[in-house]
Amino acid sequence: MKKYIVISSFILAVSLGSITLISSCKVSQKVENKTGIQLWGENCGRCHNAPGPGEFSAANWEIIGRHMRVRTNITETEEKKIIEYLKSTAN
Amino acid sequence: MNKKIMLLLPLLVAILSRAQVTNDNNPAPSTSTSKDGQNKFAIFGNAEMTLVANKDNVQFGDVNFKPIFLWKMSDQLFVEAEAEFETGEGSVDIGLEYANMCYIVNKYLTLHAGRFLPKFGAYRGRFGEGFINRLATDPVGFGDGGIGAMNEVGVGAQGGFGLGDSKINYDLYFSNGPILLTDPENAGQFEYEGYVGNNKGKAVGGRVGLLPLTNSSLELGYSFQHKSKTGDPGTPYENTGLTMQAIDLNYFGHLTALQSDVRLIGEWKYQKVDTATYYDTNGVPYTFDNSPSAYYVAATVRPSHVHNIFVHNLELAARYSQFKTPAGAPWGGGNEDQFAISLDYWLRWNSLVKLTYQTEKGEPNTFFGQVVFGF
Repeated sequence: MKKYIVISSFILAVSLGSITLISSCKVSQKVENKTGIQLWGENCGRCHNAPGPGEFSAANWEIIGRHMRVRTNITETEEKKIIEYLKSTAN
Repeated sequence: MNKKIMLLLPLLVAILSRAQVTNDNNPAPSTSTSKDGQNKFAIFGNAEMTLVANKDNVQFGDVNFKPIFLWKMSDQLFVEAEAEFETGEGSVDIGLEYANMCYIVNKYLTLHAGRFLPKFGAYRGRFGEGFINRLATDPVGFGDGGIGAMNEVGVGAQGGFGLGDSKINYDLYFSNGPILLTDPENAGQFEYEGYVGNNKGKAVGGRVGLLPLTNSSLELGYSFQHKSKTGDPGTPYENTGLTMQAIDLNYFGHLTALQSDVRLIGEWKYQKVDTATYYDTNGVPYTFDNSPSAYYVAATVRPSHVHNIFVHNLELAARYSQFKTPAGAPWGGGNEDQFAISLDYWLRWNSLVKLTYQTEKGEPNTFFGQVVFGF
């Protein structure tokens, strides 16, 4: 029982601390100004050839964006900007 | 009961964290399904076939078909699942690669539950995938019979966030974890992918990735996993513990002189098992230092910026890997070394033909021809 209390308290403390820390973190202006096409080139190509906008429909890109976020931990901003770019010229 | 309440505390944290990023300017999204009343559903995946040829054998085989099912039910809820149809063992084998339910708590945190791809290291579940791995084979120690799981069953938390010019991503999970094998042939090895656990012990593991460069071209990762009870209950092995660690690296960049994109990837992983006494086929007890390790380094070059289409679609890959198995183990006692080189031709962004030549200590030199079509 004591073990579970210690573990849970530790997780609770670390999680709350992390959330507070992360929430107060800022990205640089350079990163904030990145466009969707720039983020697409930088992030997709890290593991595989980056598919062009015409490869999938706008509806599919939205699903793929979420799939990639949970598979590779890209940030929410990256997901949104990349998918906006891909949807803007998708089939 | 109290233990269960204690273990629910992380869920409370998740709810609190969701509340924290919700305010008047950023209202909580509706919990209803998508606005048009339809689930957003898609199927993708890939199909593969491999030709194996060496002085002893020439055969077509290892035909795989792996459809991936994706549902985005709302902005918060997402399900990904992959079925696997394989013929590598001489008959059609159907399996569930993963079925992972994800809940997006906020921009920094996603919770997930189910059977999921491993978050230990970066090869399995990521660089080992058919159209991502530029070679037709796995590095030694990273495929079947290697260190660590191909899948985990459990729950986890993950996310990514920016920090200045850098990015950090994380995974933390609890899973059924490895099950210690004690039969004479496999004593000291593990069944890593149990659909169910063998005791009350659970594995805790995770990975932290750092992308220090502004253009995200470099990622460094550290992974760990620990399970304090890996043996069957009521046996002398019940409290045999296991700790694994891994370091991975991925660099992707452009080489102007060659008009090419280059990729350098590598991973080292290590496993330490508590000392245990096993018994050979004659019932004679023995023990050994059970701490195998494995690593690989790989490089690829693709002249992506050359205008000639044929040259543009070529990619050259080379990889060296080593798997150290423990001396004294019935399944170990040496180093496995492997070198592989491959010339690939891309038919589409996720479809390619691989021509791989591989040398491995104790094995005949072998040519692999592999076709992978992504869809």
